[in-house]
Amino acid sequence: MIMKKSICLCACLILICGLLSGCHGKRGGSSFAVPETFDESKNIEITFWAKNDTNKTQTAIYNKAISDFESLYPNIKVNMRLYTDYGKIYNDVITNISTDTTPNVCITYPDHIATYITGNNTVIPLDDLFRDERFGLGGSEVRFDSVREEEIVPEFLAECVIGENHYALPFMRSTEACYVNKTFVEKLGYTLPETLTWDFVWEVSEAAMEKDSEGNFKINGGQVMIPFIYKSTDNMMIQSLKQLDAPYSDEAGNVLLFNDDTRKILQTVAAHTKNGAFSTFKISGYPANFLNAGQCIFAIDSTAGATWMGSKAPLVDIAKEKIIDFDTEVMTIPQFDPANPKMISQGPSVCVFNKADSDVVLASWLFAQFLITNEVQIAYSETEGYVPVTLKAQNAAEYREYLEAEGEDADLHYDVKIKAAKLLMDNTANTFVTPVFNGSTSVRDAAGQLIENVTKAVRRKKTVDDKFIDATYEEVKALYHLDSGTSGAGGGKKSLGPLPAASKTLIGTLIFAWVVIGFFVLKGKLKSNK
Amino acid sequence: MKTKAGRIVNYILLSLWGLIVLFPFYWMILTSVKGYGAYNSEYVPKFFTLSPTMENYITAFTAVPLAKYFLNTFIFTVITTLLMMVVVILSAFAFARLSFKGKDLVFSLFLSLMMIPNELVIITNFVTITDLNLRNTFMGLVLPSVTSVFYIYLLKENFEQIPENLYKAAKVDGTSDFGYLIKVMLPISKPTIVTITILKVIECWNSYVWPRLITDDQNYFLVSNGIQEIRENGFGRENVPAMMAAVVVISVPLVVIFLIFRHKIMDGVARGGTKG
Amino acid sequence: MKKSITPWLCLLPAIAFLGVFMVYPLVDVVVYSFEEGYNFASGSFWGTGFYNFSYVLHDPFFIQALKNTFIIVIITVPLSTGIALLISLGLSNIKALRDLFQTVYFLPYVTNTLAVGLVFMILFKKTAYSDGLVSLLIQLFGGPSVDFIDGPYWAKMFVMCFYTIWVVMPFKILILTSALASVDPVYYKAAQVDATPKWRVFFKITLPMISPMVFYLVITGFIGAFKAYSDEVALFGTNLNAAGMNTIVGYVYDMLYGNSGGYPSYASAAALILFAIVFTITTINLMVSRKTVYYQ
Repeated sequence: MIMKKSICLCACLILICGLLSGCHGKRGGSSFAVPETFDESKNIEITFWAKNDTNKTQTAIYNKAISDFESLYPNIKVNMRLYTDYGKIYNDVITNISTDTTPNVCITYPDHIATYITGNNTVIPLDDLFRDERFGLGGSEVRFDSVREEEIVPEFLAECVIGENHYALPFMRSTEACYVNKTFVEKLGYTLPETLTWDFVWEVSEAAMEKDSEGNFKINGGQVMIPFIYKSTDNMMIQSLKQLDAPYSDEAGNVLLFNDDTRKILQTVAAHTKNGAFSTFKISGYPANFLNAGQCIFAIDSTAGATWMGSKAPLVDIAKEKIIDFDTEVMTIPQFDPANPKMISQGPSVCVFNKADSDVVLASWLFAQFLITNEVQIAYSETEGYVPVTLKAQNAAEYREYLEAEGEDADLHYDVKIKAAKLLMDNTANTFVTPVFNGSTSVRDAAGQLIENVTKAVRRKKTVDDKFIDATYEEVKALYHLDSGTSGAGGGKKSLGPLPAASKTLIGTLIFAWVVIGFFVLKGKLKSNK
Repeated sequence: MKTKAGRIVNYILLSLWGLIVLFPFYWMILTSVKGYGAYNSEYVPKFFTLSPTMENYITAFTAVPLAKYFLNTFIFTVITTLLMMVVVILSAFAFARLSFKGKDLVFSLFLSLMMIPNELVIITNFVTITDLNLRNTFMGLVLPSVTSVFYIYLLKENFEQIPENLYKAAKVDGTSDFGYLIKVMLPISKPTIVTITILKVIECWNSYVWPRLITDDQNYFLVSNGIQEIRENGFGRENVPAMMAAVVVISVPLVVIFLIFRHKIMDGVARGGTKG
Repeated sequence: MKKSITPWLCLLPAIAFLGVFMVYPLVDVVVYSFEEGYNFASGSFWGTGFYNFSYVLHDPFFIQALKNTFIIVIITVPLSTGIALLISLGLSNIKALRDLFQTVYFLPYVTNTLAVGLVFMILFKKTAYSDGLVSLLIQLFGGPSVDFIDGPYWAKMFVMCFYTIWVVMPFKILILTSALASVDPVYYKAAQVDATPKWRVFFKITLPMISPMVFYLVITGFIGAFKAYSDEVALFGTNLNAAGMNTIVGYVYDMLYGNSGGYPSYASAAALILFAIVFTITTINLMVSRKTVYYQ
């Protein structure tokens, strides 16, 4: 009886297996074609996954955009879902790809889109839609003041190209800036150059570490001073490599990050972390908090964090009593070659997902277009150090007025925020982006992790020599699976070599345990048979 | 009983563990009454606050519709627990009292299922529920959470400790198996059943990963989603005091339930049915 | 005839639920583990074979996760069961304040572990401004300043084990106190008549009477400890690999959401390895319990 039952059970399982492995194939639809007419009587509901910086004003802007759009197109309803983290959006999209329940419109990064498009027609290429006469950019039948392709800042639009097609529209753009405590710099006896250089920043940071006889820092009379804090170490590495014209990665997906220029950068970082002149966000906390409390001199963060920086910052995370008075200067990040500044271009983009019903996709596209109209662009960019992605918005009278009113109040026209926006507008030609491919996110994370590892090691009093850096290279490669051939380049199995000792022990122990169990079971059976 | 010294040592050790348990809760409540600015300004964490405030509790209820989440969680918990009781009692009864071919094998199979970590089955269940169109519904929330081999095992152990004599006596009286289950076994195992119910209630109340995956419609969020929302809402960085306030509020019903039923749980004395 | 259908009828609801929501996913996982390099986003894979298992067994982070998990299991299960037993005995020997203690001890079970983990993290973490409460206490007693969250491995492991034990204690104390309370006082009275010494009473009467429950706790304790993950996240955040504190389940979860589209194949292979380990240990436990557990 038991035998029969187990055989039945096994047979069922095998049957299920067969069915299931069939279910592991590709899903996805056919490619999208712009429909002939847009059916206005059909009620369409689209989902929009948006990211905000945990900022109620930004949420309000999204809500207003949605209600404005819905009043223009009464047959379309937009359901928004808010996220504060790109990583979570990414995870949720991936999970939903396998069940065909992706959102319709989503705020995301081209790096992530590169992964989404490995599926079958998940994200639609937008070029046909751009040029459609009726519903495209500047199309005749679009019910709002649609932005034409030429009116979008070309650098920002080019960033949304993966392979040969545009897969996204830029939504907002920002860059990294160095927020400097000018008062302290001058107190130390230095004058700020027009463009910051790495040498200058390191020199001033080291000078700030001087302590007085009581063990307090001379510069602020307190116990805590970390002169140079960098928020996103991945940007730090990427921008430094770009400034040195050193390799990082390429369009084909090759990871070129682990080279000697990287090594030099890591050694410089290690040298200056030794007496505490440098730290990162992950180790110490938000640069803004330290800057505002007079415990940091060079705080590098996105321009989209400008409202947190400075003595009169409208958003603060620390107690008001701790904030000291100082002059904030917004400058480009430190450069190796001040004559040719280079900085990264960042910021959210919008993509549209493919669905079976092309009317739904068209409605999604219309909403995506609506997000780059002047009203939404100007309103959103005014919440932080963002810059509108359309020349149309940048040149609009309303936006110009906003920029002119720099410093008039410490809220909407907060000077640090507007200075940050102006910084990007002045340097648009100096920005760059890294190659986008399936797995580029991992390379970026790896770049940041290298600096984090080195900084952490120095703080724990370990020596950072070539041997250490080699070991870190290997560790980071394994951590992000950059050597496994499963990211963009390669894409095949790699030969793995012999099993490490721990694995051998594990397998050996398991086998041994079952032999012993088997022995005892047999012994029991023999006993009961007797 | 132990000597006086032994008793004192006993009390000291018990109090020590009690303190270790209580301290984080004290900290939680303390943080929930510290103002947001005051909390962030403390470089060295303080053990007390000079100006307690209720603002975090207000924030907790206004920033997100916490009351609605409470209702959702309540419905979810009740349905899941009821379903679970039926399933678990029947299964434990079958394993403990009834005899059938392959009992051991099936029980080992059940046990082996207990070893599957939740994180593993979650993706497939997500696909299943989505394909059945049960996302953003109570059924979708409830169904995968109903059965837990953990409780079947516990109840089975308990049932097995009911002496054979009682069963024989019942048979002599002509009671059927089900009659025995309802009239004799359940009353005797009442403490364990109450325990299981409460444990399940707590599990449902605190569940986070599954509801988060399955629901994106705010009407179906549970309180745990609420805590996450508080964490990410408002202006800027994590509002830890408000989060703590939400956690305190959410835990209160559970503590109350435990306080009410704790005697029933501790009451293991009803078993002495073979006296005389 | 009727007798042989009833058991299966009783088991039917359980089998139905478990089948759909546990067995089916398990089979799915097995299938995934043999499809090499399956990528969630693209829905494609290279072929079938043992490559996934090989990859996982070569991955240094899997091995680290393996080590961490084993250490957690070996330390927390015996310790927590032992301490729970001591506390339960202590509780059953006192009359006054027993209710109070029991209520207090149960509190950790009732609250959200994520929140409590956050509190622990705050208490143990060293920031730029302060050394963290616990570290300060240690310094009070003359020890060095230790960063438990970001510092050396043994410190992190200590916090991890401490927190894990703290979290699992309520349930164990609850079960053991009920078990102790349900021991028939007849036996104790008989022992008193014979004037048996206390420790003998414990080993010859108490322990065997509660042995089913003790074994239940040991078995479920092992299984639960092998599945440790959310506690780690509560303490160390989601990037466990970087913190060196990943566990096998954490490794599985990370694999599912990898940055290049998710690798359910590697996740499944790792999960099956975990399952094999836990299955082996549970079988051994069961066999030992059959020899040593006393049923009436």
